[in-house]
Formats: sequence, structure tokens, C-alpha cells
Amino acid sequence: MKLLSSYLKEMKIASRGFYFYIEIFVAIILLLVILVGVDPNPDSKMVEYIYYDMPEEVYEFIIDKDIKEGKIRQIDDTELELKPVEFEVSNKESGEIISYTYEEKKTVLSKTYQKLNPDTGKVKSTIYILDNEEDIQRLSVTTGDIAATITANEEGEFSYRYFLQGYEKERFSNILYILHTYSPDEVDAQRDLQVVREIGVTERMNNQEAVVPVFVTFAGALMGFFIIMSYIYLDKDEGVISAFAVTPSAVWKYLLSKTFVIITTVVISSSIIVIPIMRLKPNYLLFYMFLMIITYAFAALGLLVASFFDSISKAFGVLYLTMIALMLPAFSYYISSFDPLWLRFFPTYPVLQGFKGILVGQADLAYVLTYSLVFLVAGTLLLALANIRFKKSLSV
Amino acid sequence: MISVKNLSYSYSNDEKLAVKNISFEISKGETFGFLGPSGAGKSTTQGILTGLLKHQMGDVMVAGYDMKKVQNERFNKIGVSFEQSNVYSKLTALENLKYYADLFDGPTRDPHELLKIVGLDGRENDRAGEFSKGMKHRLTFARSMINNPELWFLDEPTTGLDPAIAATIKDIIRAEKAKGTTSFLTTHNMYIADELCDRVAFIIDGEIKLIDTPKSLKQKYGKKLVEVEYVKEGQLYKETLKTVEDADRQKIADIVKSYDIQTMHSKEATLEEIFIQVTGRELI
Ligand SMILES: Nc1ncnc2c1ncn2[C@@H]1O[C@H](COP(=O)(O)OP(=O)(O)O)[C@@H](O)[C@H]1O
Ligand SMILES: [Mg+2]
Repeated sequence: MKLLSSYLKEMKIASRGFYFYIEIFVAIILLLVILVGVDPNPDSKMVEYIYYDMPEEVYEFIIDKDIKEGKIRQIDDTELELKPVEFEVSNKESGEIISYTYEEKKTVLSKTYQKLNPDTGKVKSTIYILDNEEDIQRLSVTTGDIAATITANEEGEFSYRYFLQGYEKERFSNILYILHTYSPDEVDAQRDLQVVREIGVTERMNNQEAVVPVFVTFAGALMGFFIIMSYIYLDKDEGVISAFAVTPSAVWKYLLSKTFVIITTVVISSSIIVIPIMRLKPNYLLFYMFLMIITYAFAALGLLVASFFDSISKAFGVLYLTMIALMLPAFSYYISSFDPLWLRFFPTYPVLQGFKGILVGQADLAYVLTYSLVFLVAGTLLLALANIRFKKSLSV
Repeated sequence: MISVKNLSYSYSNDEKLAVKNISFEISKGETFGFLGPSGAGKSTTQGILTGLLKHQMGDVMVAGYDMKKVQNERFNKIGVSFEQSNVYSKLTALENLKYYADLFDGPTRDPHELLKIVGLDGRENDRAGEFSKGMKHRLTFARSMINNPELWFLDEPTTGLDPAIAATIKDIIRAEKAKGTTSFLTTHNMYIADELCDRVAFIIDGEIKLIDTPKSLKQKYGKKLVEVEYVKEGQLYKETLKTVEDADRQKIADIVKSYDIQTMHSKEATLEEIFIQVTGRELI
């Protein structure tokens, strides 16, 4: 009862303050920026990986023909890096699933072409030709780009095996142009659609969706950490903590009700972004559970830090460094070639990975639940420590 | 209600003591005044007795609880009014009291009634942030009564208030005393101490110089003052002299012998004069 009343009081105070609206305002602005400013599937970056499963003469003939017709042009060969990856390939028609595991890194040299728009002559996409199907599958799954194997039978008819990540219905029209001369109908008749999915993280996100895990991670972690500290220092400045300290109510109730306020704010601001962009994809039950636990844990960290300093200016150094450290994993999220092992020890790393899965509706349940438990326990320990610290230092 | 033995406190946890080895007892129903200039250690003592400052040295029992142990439920019996007002500026006067009331286990007083007696009726739904300093102080004061405390800590209850409001506050303290509330009141205002307290302690530089009732203090020190007005070389002089000090006695004799006395009577000293007499320092 005290906890509820305390929570309602803190909510009232928060809703009459500044930080509450800042977070919501930032969420709305970001939503607008994403919706208006980010093209979900920009054509300009189209990349295709192709494997011609046919005698070299046949394939060279096709390429030469396309070059002569001005459809493509050759550029310098490219060195492609194939990362270790685990994935499965499922055949849309037969439902058959095959798993692949590659543990070694591998570098291949690939013939590289640019596909041109026949009308404007502008580059439409980059095409890498590789000499086996595994490599193109691997590249497709790690980069999210389209791959296809083109086969010729004895009658000289071509058939296509596409490797997609499953979401790009709209992009399918684009792949029909992968190279050729054939009309879409013809291709459709001969296609053999395969879906490649990386194990662990599965469905790819479009550019708009890709912003969301980062936002919710930092809404939960950073805002939880930073805003709860601001609230504590507001209370310290007003001296209301001393007034609280001479009541029979326990300190942990005060701390917990602050934490709940932060969780409420984070849930609201995250929903503003997540619901319009991810729509029905996420498992919302899992999403809100994970979000609340993450916010709880980082708010508890903020409380502990706040208990060591009696003003926000004194806490600023620690605050700043912690925020930077928590943000680092975002670099590896955006720059996939930057994924050093040490980065995995940052607490926001698993948070980001967890959200990525949950938001596309293909969470690795064991992963999410394990980390939920870890953060729940860690948060509770931090809160217990903060409680001890605050009991000692409430009067300052 | 309160028993303090050999209490010392250092903010820096070293030999620099803000409160030095003080001892006193406060019985149930008593209004006990801590009188001393600012920086004497009054608020520090209140801080230790309320548990806001961590207990360091000495034995302190408050409302039956040993202050070496932390027992939150003792606050159901205790009310604390702070020297610096500390209310939520974003909450209204009424909300401030209501939410505070929810923190206690037992029955609490009607917030409307409390706001009325401190003269904040009509402002119930205004945010405390819009209040003047005096109004915030009254709200802090009203809040300290919300749980019907048996033991009431009042740190400078009238400081900074205009005289009319100070008079209201004094009336409230008297009314609470009539109900049997025990109060620990700190002040640097000797009138307050004189009017409200059953006993006062003179505190200076963290040390208690004496503890007595205002009445007995006046009896002990008051009669021994002589105020004399006399004419010397055509000019009127006025002096207050102590009959206990040889130099002053000699001076009285000289004046009587040499000059024309206009008026001369023994005078009851104010607590302030007694304070100066006892401690050699002024109450500021
Ligand atoms: N938070 C604090 N940290 C360090 N010293 C303090 C603190 N509060 C008070 N003091 C010092 O302790 C002494 C007693 O202060 P205080 O109890 O506030 O006096 P009073 O209430 O009688 O005016 C003063 O010398 C004061 O400077
Ligand atoms: Mg003081």
C-alpha cells in the first residue's frame, strides 16, 4: 500500500517535471525521423551474390552478352570476407530444412559487376559472382543481401534458386531482374525459393526497423540509469529525502517506487517507437518483460551510483563514462565488421542482441530468458546495495 | 522520553567535534529547549536524535528506542519539523500532506485541518513550489504533526516567520503541549525558549553550559542586576550592573556617592542576558 501510494506520488511528481516529457518528446521526434527520413529498403545499396551452376563457357557467354547490351559492366575483383556463421536453409515448397555451420573465417576473391539501369545508365546494384553455393548462402545470411544460384539444364533452360531472408516480399520484384533477359513470368515458373536464416538471430530488419533495438536498449539502459539519478538529485536538492527518512516507511520502497516511475516512462517512450514501426512482428509479452527487467537493472545501477555522490556535478564523471561504455555495443550493431570479443562483456551487448530477436518476432527464448534472469538478479543485488548505501547517507 | 549520555558527534569523523560530550534527559510531556547561537550544534543534536545523522559516540535513547539500532517503526511516534523547509515543490500543499500521511502505519490527522491551523487554508491546491519561504516553512511544520507525534522535534520553528505567524506557531506548540506531547525545540531566540520551554539548555560550541527552568534561571541571575540612571556633568547615563561582581559593586557605590541618581532598581534579566552572562557570548 505504501509502495503503491509512493509510486503514484512519484508518478505525479515526474509527470509535472521536465525529464518525463523530454523522453517522450525524443521518442516522438525519433519516430518521425525514422518514418520520414529513413528509406526502409534503399535500392542504391542493392547487392546480389550469384553462383552460376553451369559450364564456364555458358556463363561467360551470358555475361558477355549482358555487357555488350549495356546491362552490366565489370569492375575490379573484390575480396569478400566470409564470417563464421550458423544458419539453416529452408525450402519454401518442400519445407525441407538444412543446417550449416561454418566455424572458420574465409576470404574469397570475387568477380564483380555493376548492374546498370538501361534507361539512365546509372548503377542499380553490385553483383558478386562466386564459384559455389555455400559461399553465396553464407554471404547472404551475414549481409542480408540476396543470393541466387542459376542452373542450366540439358535443354539449355535456366532455373533459379533464390536465398532470401524471408521478409522482402517487396524486394522480390527486384530480384527478378537479377541479371536477365527473361521476363518475370518465365522466371517465376522456374524459380525455386529458399530461405536462409541465421541461427540465433534470424529475420533481417529493414533500415527503419534496424534503429528500433538500439533505441529501446538505450531508452531502457541509459535513460533508466541517467534519469533515475536526476530524480534522486532533485529530491536531494529539495531535502525531501530527509523528510522521508524520518518516517517508518522503508528506504527500499522509496527506491523501488522511483524505479517503477522510470520503468513506466521507458515503457511509454519505447512503445511510441516500437508499435508503429514493428507493428505485429514482436512478441510483445516477451518484449515488455525484457524491457522492464532491463530498465529495472540499469535504474538500480543509477541508484547505486547516486548513493555515492551528493550532487549531480560530483557524479558527472562516473555518469559520463558509464553512459559511453553502455553505448559502445551499438557500434558493433551498426558496423558488423567490428565485433570484438571484449565488447560482449558490456551489459548492453546482450540487451541489444535480445531486443533484436524479440522485435522481429524470432527471439531465442533461452537467450532472452537467461539474460532476463541475469539482469533481474543483478538489478536486485544493485538495489540491495543502493538500499544499504542510502540508509547510511540519506541525510546528506 | 529522551535520554542522552556523553553524546559526541564529528562530521569529519575525527577530533573536530560539532557536539561535545553532552548529556541530558527529557521527561514525558516536557518541552525542552536547546538555546544557542547559530553553529552551536543544535541541529546536529536533533539530527542524531532523529537518526538522520549516524550515531557515533555516547548512549542515546529516544522514545524507548536505542539509537544504536535502526528501527524505523519508532517514527510512528515521532514528528520532525526541519529548519530548512523540505516539501515537494511539484506537489500541492494537500498532496504533500496526504502522501506523507500514507508513509505512517497508524492513524493520521486530517490534512485540511492541519493546513487550516497553520493558516494555509485556501491554498490547499496550490503547488508548494509557488509558496513563499514562510509558507513552505508552515507546510513543513504542519507536516510534522500529521502522525500525532508523542515526541516532536522542532528545529527553529519560528525563525524567519513574521511575528503574527510566529505567534500562531507558538500557540500551536502550546496546544500540543497541553495534549501531552513531548517536544525538543531548538532555537536561537530567547523569547521562544522563555515562553514555550519547561527547561532550557544553553549550548555553545557543541557543549551544554547549563540546563535549568527559565524561571529558576531568572531567579538565580535576575535579581542580581541593578539598572541605574544618573546625571554626570549634565548628561544622563544608564548602566546595568551586576551585584555579584566586585568591580560592578564598587561602581554602584561610586555612582551613588558621586552623582545624581535619577532611577535605580533591580531588574529581572532576560534569558538573553543570562545567556551572555553564563557563556560570555551573544545569541546570534
Ligand atoms: N553537514 C555538515 N558537515 C560538516 N559540518 C557541519 C555540517 N552541518 C553542520 N556542521 C557544523 O557543525 C557545527 C554545528 O552546526 P549546527 O548543528 O547546524 O548548528 P546550529 O543548528 O546550532 O546552528 C557548525 O560548526 C557547523 O558548521
Ligand atoms: Mg540549526
